[in-house]
Amino acid sequence: MQWMRWTMPAIAVMSAAAPAYATQYMTVAEAQKRAFPNAQLAEVQAGRVWKAEAGGRPIGYFFFDHVIGKHLNIDYSVALGPDGRVHRVDILEYRESYGGEVRDAAWLGQFAGKGPQGALDVRTISGATLSSTHITEGVKRVLAYYESHLK
Amino acid sequence: MKATSNRLTRARPLLGTFVEVSVSDAPRADMDAAVDAAFAAVADVHRLMSFHDAGSDVGCLNSAASTQPVTVHAWTYQVLELAADMHRRSRGAFDIAVAPRLQELGLLPRGADEQPSDPEEIPAAGAIELLPDCRVRFRHPSMRIDLGGIAKGFAVDRAIDVLRDHAMPNGLVNAGGDLSAFGPAAQTIQIRDPHAPERMMCRVELANQALASSAGRLDLMRSAAVAEAAVIDPESGEPPRTVRAATVCAPSCMVADALTKVVMVAGERAAGPLEHYRASAIFVSAEGDVRATTNWQGSC
Repeated sequence: MQWMRWTMPAIAVMSAAAPAYATQYMTVAEAQKRAFPNAQLAEVQAGRVWKAEAGGRPIGYFFFDHVIGKHLNIDYSVALGPDGRVHRVDILEYRESYGGEVRDAAWLGQFAGKGPQGALDVRTISGATLSSTHITEGVKRVLAYYESHLK
Repeated sequence: MKATSNRLTRARPLLGTFVEVSVSDAPRADMDAAVDAAFAAVADVHRLMSFHDAGSDVGCLNSAASTQPVTVHAWTYQVLELAADMHRRSRGAFDIAVAPRLQELGLLPRGADEQPSDPEEIPAAGAIELLPDCRVRFRHPSMRIDLGGIAKGFAVDRAIDVLRDHAMPNGLVNAGGDLSAFGPAAQTIQIRDPHAPERMMCRVELANQALASSAGRLDLMRSAAVAEAAVIDPESGEPPRTVRAATVCAPSCMVADALTKVVMVAGERAAGPLEHYRASAIFVSAEGDVRATTNWQGSC
């Protein structure tokens, strides 16, 4: 197999017009329904913590929280089972900025679009390693809150 | 039920990154079930192959396989088989036994009771013995493996299998840049210049194939949080100096993932393995030159 020199497109700056983007994966209500399909949710802390009950019995807790990603907030949810163990973690909304300030980041970002006009239809996530570390820390905070307030 | 054209995309933190699963053109309830099952498969791979979890297959191998054969899950065995083949064909450029080097550099954690390895004593992946019935033995006492350079791609492949098994007409799975797509319509993937992320380097139309990327870190001391992006040249024990980023297109994401490390370490000498695995590649050299294999399908 041979190698050839690849010439980068001269003008292919893609994010100048879109220095930041956001992807909403799910609303809080959708995430609650996916985590506890047949439950009633009662708010324990306004907009943040819900208790899930089915047939009058507690079946878990649902938390809505955010962490800072590389630069901007990432909304996520954590569902705990009745035993206080993590049932699922979903990313609800991802916001990130592209541009000069991420120049020093050592990643090769990619994103997927849809069809030929899809260049701006960004879906994929960059800087995800750091952000996922922050989510892991966030989930630990949620578990600590559960231990001290709800158990 | 009438199929809808609504696309469903979900993301979860797994494998030390964000994993995104996307499907469309199927009834909503079927898409929900397929996406949940795909994430479950990724979580299974995470549990089996995490370096950080002492109870994972990798954890068990690292603590016990140098004294006795360890039985692993068929998936772990499958990854180890490809890793062994890749190690041989790349003449050592791909090596899952670089874990002690990564620990030395602070890129992987070291257990509390674990002694640092003598750099002269670190064995290569050739010292891994794959026995029948998914049993594995290490021929060297200081052998420790890390599947970080291959498991993410394998997880993407398993998630794609699940989406196909659920009769999804199309699907895209992306684990922090290691991605694979299937379906009648190609997915447009933009690849950025790693040193100027706002610039597009090329565009790939991905259909029933996988794509993976690796980039060298500019400063190893910056943050351990980005450790999984690290690639080590097994020969020098240091990060590769000649290639700063590589993208590989291959029939499976596991192969694409592993081959990015070969290109990072071997540069143009990766041509043989690329050809063997029916893959194509593009890379940016340390000087900023961009090279692509002649079968590279990308466009400007």
